[in-house]
Amino acid sequence: SIMPSYKLTYFDGRARAEVARQILYLADIPFEDVRISLHDWPSLKSTTPFGQMPLLEVDGQSLPQSFAIFRYLAKQFGFSGDSPFESAWVDALADQHADYFREILPVLLTIWGFTQGDRMALVKEVATPARDKYFPLLEKIAKDNGLNGHFVGDSLTWVDLLIAEHVGSINQHLPGFLSAYPSVIKTVNKITSTPRLKEWIEKRKETTF
Amino acid sequence: MPKYTLHYFDMRGLGELCRQIFALAEVDFEDKRYDMEKEWPAFKSQTPFRQLPVLEVDGKFIPQLYAHCRMLATEHGFAGKTPFDAAWVDAIADQHKDFYWGDFKKFWWRALDAAEGDLVHEELKTKFGIPERDKFFPLIEKQLTETGTGFLVGDSVTWADLLISEHVSVIVRVVPGFLDAFPETKKHAEKIRTIPQIAKWIERRPVTAH
Repeated sequence: SIMPSYKLTYFDGRARAEVARQILYLADIPFEDVRISLHDWPSLKSTTPFGQMPLLEVDGQSLPQSFAIFRYLAKQFGFSGDSPFESAWVDALADQHADYFREILPVLLTIWGFTQGDRMALVKEVATPARDKYFPLLEKIAKDNGLNGHFVGDSLTWVDLLIAEHVGSINQHLPGFLSAYPSVIKTVNKITSTPRLKEWIEKRKETTF
Repeated sequence: MPKYTLHYFDMRGLGELCRQIFALAEVDFEDKRYDMEKEWPAFKSQTPFRQLPVLEVDGKFIPQLYAHCRMLATEHGFAGKTPFDAAWVDAIADQHKDFYWGDFKKFWWRALDAAEGDLVHEELKTKFGIPERDKFFPLIEKQLTETGTGFLVGDSVTWADLLISEHVSVIVRVVPGFLDAFPETKKHAEKIRTIPQIAKWIERRPVTAH
């Protein structure tokens, strides 16, 4: 049978698209990796279903919303857990992560240079409490899962990629910020040493976000 | 059939979607409701993410409402008929989540407190309610117009229909006229609530302020 064509469109960065790129690369699926500059985005916006990116096109059919994209690709290519219960837990952890990410996003936008702000104050007043609410739960999840290199189950899932990408971003800009969570760090290190993922990370273009 | 218990507060809130999926699927479940002051503190430490709702399936917990709702809906045929349709259900649900928990919240939570017909803060409505409404609901109108089936995705009811119609029905009650510019959205909410299993649930569910 003929493989569908995959096209992923996003800004020139990792942020909300990187997990999709990683799933496709891990599955050895060719895809068009389109990156739109901030300058070109406004004129493209109205051509997308929700006026947002990332956008996945599968044989020309559009799909918006990053988690919908990640989950769709993960299901297609075997990165969504080994049972319905496990898939639900992958989803649950991803949504919990997204809740934390929503809180910390204003800090990241300043760090990435998209907004003006007092970086130190934001880290202290916004990022730190958000971290302290979420990462202890994640630390426990990593331990309860047997420190097997995954956050859910015993095979690579898209929530592993999601969390590993975020931890990498944090380490890039706020080194030491997550040093109180050794089980999380250990799990992330195991995830990123998955051979094909390691290869992608090593050869990808370096971006601020 | 597994034994299901939904753990949530005594309100519709974030628990209603799961209850409606059970109703639609005609699956029994224990509808456990916690008093926020008297009972929740003791149960909190037993929940995976210290939050409700939590779905218990044969003694095991699944937190995060979209996660357990998706699982239930998928099992009973209310998550879209193809993988791509299922992804579109997810996309609409997440777009609604972004809308609901973004700036709209600043208006909506005040509006809910005034649910008994009191004055809504006009400033919040102008600053947050209206702009956020006008970014989100055109997408729903467009989606309904494009499918032409009366459903948000494909030609059958999905959990996205339940999610959107429930919120719309509350908006219509709490802020009359607020969605008048979105006729397909209003029609959709009314229609979903006439699905026999949903109508029956709405009739018999506990009446709570939220």
